[in-house]
Amino acid sequence: MGYTFAEKVLARNVGLDSVEPGQIIIARPDKLLSHDNTAAISRHFYKIGLERVHNPDVEVIVLDHVVPAASEADAINHRTIREFVAQQGISGFYDVGTGICHQVLPEKGHAWPGAVIVGSDSHTPTHGAFGAFAAGIGRTEAAAVMATGKLWLRVPATFRIVVEGQMPERVSAKDLILHIIGDLRADGANYRAVEFAGPAIAALSMAGRMVLCNMSTEMGAKNAVVEPDDTTRAWLAGRVTRAYDEIHADADASYERILTYDVTNLAPQVAKPHTVDNVCPVAEVAGKRIDQGLIGTCTNGRLEDLEAARDILRGKHIAESVRLLVLPASREVLLAALEKGVIADLVEAGATVLNPGCGPCLGAHQGVMAPGEVTISTANRNFKGRMGSKEAFTYLASPATVAASALTGVITDPREV
Amino acid sequence: MKATKVQGRIWVLTDPQGQLYDDIDTDQIFHNRYLHITDVAEMGQYALDNLEGWEDFSEKAQPGDIVVAGGNFGAGSSRQQAVDCFRALGISAIIAESFGAIYKRNAINSGLPIVALPRLTGMAEAFQTGDTLKVDFTSGEIVLDGQVYQAQPFSQVQMDIYQAGDIFAYGKALEEK
Repeated sequence: MGYTFAEKVLARNVGLDSVEPGQIIIARPDKLLSHDNTAAISRHFYKIGLERVHNPDVEVIVLDHVVPAASEADAINHRTIREFVAQQGISGFYDVGTGICHQVLPEKGHAWPGAVIVGSDSHTPTHGAFGAFAAGIGRTEAAAVMATGKLWLRVPATFRIVVEGQMPERVSAKDLILHIIGDLRADGANYRAVEFAGPAIAALSMAGRMVLCNMSTEMGAKNAVVEPDDTTRAWLAGRVTRAYDEIHADADASYERILTYDVTNLAPQVAKPHTVDNVCPVAEVAGKRIDQGLIGTCTNGRLEDLEAARDILRGKHIAESVRLLVLPASREVLLAALEKGVIADLVEAGATVLNPGCGPCLGAHQGVMAPGEVTISTANRNFKGRMGSKEAFTYLASPATVAASALTGVITDPREV
Repeated sequence: MKATKVQGRIWVLTDPQGQLYDDIDTDQIFHNRYLHITDVAEMGQYALDNLEGWEDFSEKAQPGDIVVAGGNFGAGSSRQQAVDCFRALGISAIIAESFGAIYKRNAINSGLPIVALPRLTGMAEAFQTGDTLKVDFTSGEIVLDGQVYQAQPFSQVQMDIYQAGDIFAYGKALEEK
């Protein structure tokens, strides 16, 4: 009998021939990711009475949640983190402006096939797009990992999601994953490993794969993976210098559920307020007035997302009643978009371009809403009150849908502009 | 040895229609605007203040009380404060149909007792705010109004961490072995 991706990665990490779902193992992560919450983590760490982290090369710390600092408290927080990084000799530190942690981590070569990556951020599963086992943990235990280099993990059972067909024009990975979450619901994959496979997945760029793995958190997944192939290897070349051994699920692995989807007739989707699983085709909410559009975040802030928006907006102008915020997910993305004229096209169309970072996604700054306002966003969460007022509304959608909606001033199917 | 059985008054998290809340996410448990707070003592006052109908929870709850909720309690972000705010209030246990994966880890690692009672939503009428119930972490048994419900007992690692206090004390104890 064969084993799933998660079972094989975790068995290798702990030096066992095999592991079973439900088994508790003590894993040694290859990378520990944290962000603006590192100050709080470091306080836990010092409270235990330790002075040195177990291995400073394991830590990857990216300032992204409130960047640049929006208040004195944020600024003090950032300074605490810089002091901790200097004290501990942590080289994997990326300061304000480098980008969102889930974009920066792989760009800087900290994700590779077969790696075990944990992060004190719930969207750490994003890095399964690179063939790694990547899972979110809490802040308390991030400190424990810093101290000991180890953490307990319960081996998850696996769902396999096989996707066939060819993605239609103006329909993208974000629409696919919203559709799946609408089916499975917010807890449908709770504590499961999710494997995405099939020809439609293989046809996705790395950016598209990151969208799927990133959003898998919103159906409760422990981790998600797209197994490495030539697309993965090409993207990683030049970024990852270490040798790595890929892990692939066995053909006769045992899955708790196998689901199949076909994207051939997939329509653009939205998640309506106030839950991510409140999904319907865009057509059902078309015509709803919006006040703000957001293109960015760890879900959809990459070059191909900005280009999808540019393709719709180039030479045109957004509706007068709308603010369109664009946040490239990293400095690298920003530079590429500048070079290709994408930023100029978006600015000329009326977009407000903000610095790489998490921005308004979590309501900290850079686009918070007033009561009654509506934002259509490429982010991954639309919980009530998340972007400011508890009486504001957030719809989640693809970059193309957000751009089309900013153009018209109402929620719009991108196939119609 | 910490107590493996607790008894307390329950707060059953129902929506304005009286239905048990499912999918209570960590934004509702502890809103973004308080995320800069890292002192546990200051967190309790904001617990559930973003959950419709429960905005005054922290004023009503007493140490020793037990929270009861539907499925996928603690969905969403990994914020530690969503666990610590209940510890700050002295909540002795959270019973839910199921928990979000990261929330579950956070709670276990902080030594906050959580107990999953599958199919709770189907039995929700039996659980009324103000009742007193007993829960046994070792056997998973919940006793309410003379009825016994079989919840999931603590896993071994959960019990070991709970007895040690939290993940750090547990780790220290392991190193010393």
